[in-house]
Amino acid sequence: MELQLGTPIAKPGLRRKTRWYFWGLLFLIPEILIFFLFLWVPIFKGIVYSFYSVDFVSGNVFVGWKNFADVLSNPDYYTAVKNTLVYMGLAVLIGFWMPIAMAIAVSELKWFQGSARVIGYLPSIIPAIVLYAMWKWFYDPIGPINSFLNFLGLPSFDFYSREHAVLSLIILETWQNFGSATLIYIAALTAVPKDLYEASELDGAGVWARIRYITLPSIKGLILVLLGLQLIATSQSFQSQLTMTNGGPDNATLTYLLLTTREAFNNFNFGNASAMGSIMFVVLVVCSVVTIKLRRGGDGG
Amino acid sequence: MKNTRERAIMSRYDFRKTSVKLVYGLMVICIALISLSMLYPFVNTFLGSLKTTKEFFTFPTPFFPSNWLWENYKESLTLFNITKYFKNTLFIFFGNTVFSLTFIGLAAYSLSHLRVPMKKWITLYFLSTLLIPAASYLIPNYLNLKGFGLLNTYWAFWLPAGANAFFLLLLKNFFDGIHKELFESARIDGASELRCFLGIAIPLSAPILVTLVLLGFSTTWNDFYWSYLVMKEDKLPLAAAIYSKIIYPGSTINWNIRFAILTMTLIPPVVLFLFFQRFIIGGLSVGAVKG
Repeated sequence: MELQLGTPIAKPGLRRKTRWYFWGLLFLIPEILIFFLFLWVPIFKGIVYSFYSVDFVSGNVFVGWKNFADVLSNPDYYTAVKNTLVYMGLAVLIGFWMPIAMAIAVSELKWFQGSARVIGYLPSIIPAIVLYAMWKWFYDPIGPINSFLNFLGLPSFDFYSREHAVLSLIILETWQNFGSATLIYIAALTAVPKDLYEASELDGAGVWARIRYITLPSIKGLILVLLGLQLIATSQSFQSQLTMTNGGPDNATLTYLLLTTREAFNNFNFGNASAMGSIMFVVLVVCSVVTIKLRRGGDGG
Repeated sequence: MKNTRERAIMSRYDFRKTSVKLVYGLMVICIALISLSMLYPFVNTFLGSLKTTKEFFTFPTPFFPSNWLWENYKESLTLFNITKYFKNTLFIFFGNTVFSLTFIGLAAYSLSHLRVPMKKWITLYFLSTLLIPAASYLIPNYLNLKGFGLLNTYWAFWLPAGANAFFLLLLKNFFDGIHKELFESARIDGASELRCFLGIAIPLSAPILVTLVLLGFSTTWNDFYWSYLVMKEDKLPLAAAIYSKIIYPGSTINWNIRFAILTMTLIPPVVLFLFFQRFIIGGLSVGAVKG
């Protein structure tokens, strides 16, 4: 009997450990495998392929830093980087403050607040491809916007010209996204304690002062988070550019990711495309980390 | 709602000032105009689908069609086999839902209620992928699927659908909120872990599951570029088919036919939105926590 007691200790409970963790591991293993095969493998392959010439027929060949050199010597690369940065900046200037203003305005509404929220969310449910098709018509030289301008006696406006194409795209994306951002802000605004407004009003603070010193500081954390998310999202945008203008006119709307997909699926240069992806990977991961840091700071304040 | 309404930023006393009244009036007009601009595209797309081609080229374009041409729909259906692409989309969506919710659900349950070695590291293994932007592995992801021979098969959507750290985080957070005692007592009564998961965890998390299914639907319904890369011709889902056959740059298909197809594509999301409004808007604030 005493010998039998000793045996499980001699084999340091591997069996016991497996039994102890059996269900936990059984439930986790499929998901671990899926994450490995469809997320971590591509992420690592992306970095590996950056150093290879990828060829489906003759096999991959290690080329060192050549892909990066190719990418960085392509003048279109700098156009794309510049366009993407301009796009991100303009999207913030034009689109970022709108949902904040709108949320404050809507939460002040006495009637139809519910309907304003539902209507505001409507553009977000339009599938991207339908959205682009709609706006292609709105921006058409003979489309409704130009009809309206002519009706007012104004000249037609070329939405797709070299100078205006970026703005046209930003307006369309702002229009689609600001409803959902507004709803997020409205949710945050309802959490601002109302006695603060009461007290400051008694102290003689006007409406603007209340917005400036109570409302905005209370949602500062959320504003920073959404700013970070918007920057990350706009830095990756290429679908509207692809469908609406195909990068043109004269590369005016060629974004970073659009150039990457072109490199891969038009030129079939997967090595260069992976190198572009790796550069983006490094930059965006740094940005994400900064966003998280900001968010932590924002929550404290 | 009215009688329980608290004060907002402005109080009744503010409205005694003319300047406040003026700004408020201006604000209401702005909201009304913006709301109109949000409804306009829906109405315009629908009415456009009933116009004649000629009406599109009269300048300025009339808002209402002179007579409602339902034949446009018939014509668009012969030009574009929408039911086939619709079926493909649904097929992808159902598979995605089953695969993602099964595997993610089991893993989330395990992480929040079961004994797991090195739980912290495994959680990090999953959730750190949230920081990595999808765009940076778009190309290798395609090459990876090609390497597995999954291109142009539905598995190319179904299997990777399980690799969704965002869904995992949401479900895990929800499961964390379920009391441990519920599972303990079920275990004492002899229920297996699978039984606990299916019989307790799943029914209790119905609201979050509905939100996840709706999010999954909107992703599948929305995505056109990726599915256009992965699938070929007859297997394309609806959005990708519209992209490659109707809206491609330089398309010469008549606007009324395009609008008929767009209107039909809009119907499912609009109907779902009207039915599940609360879940969708609720899910939005869940989504905001993600950052």
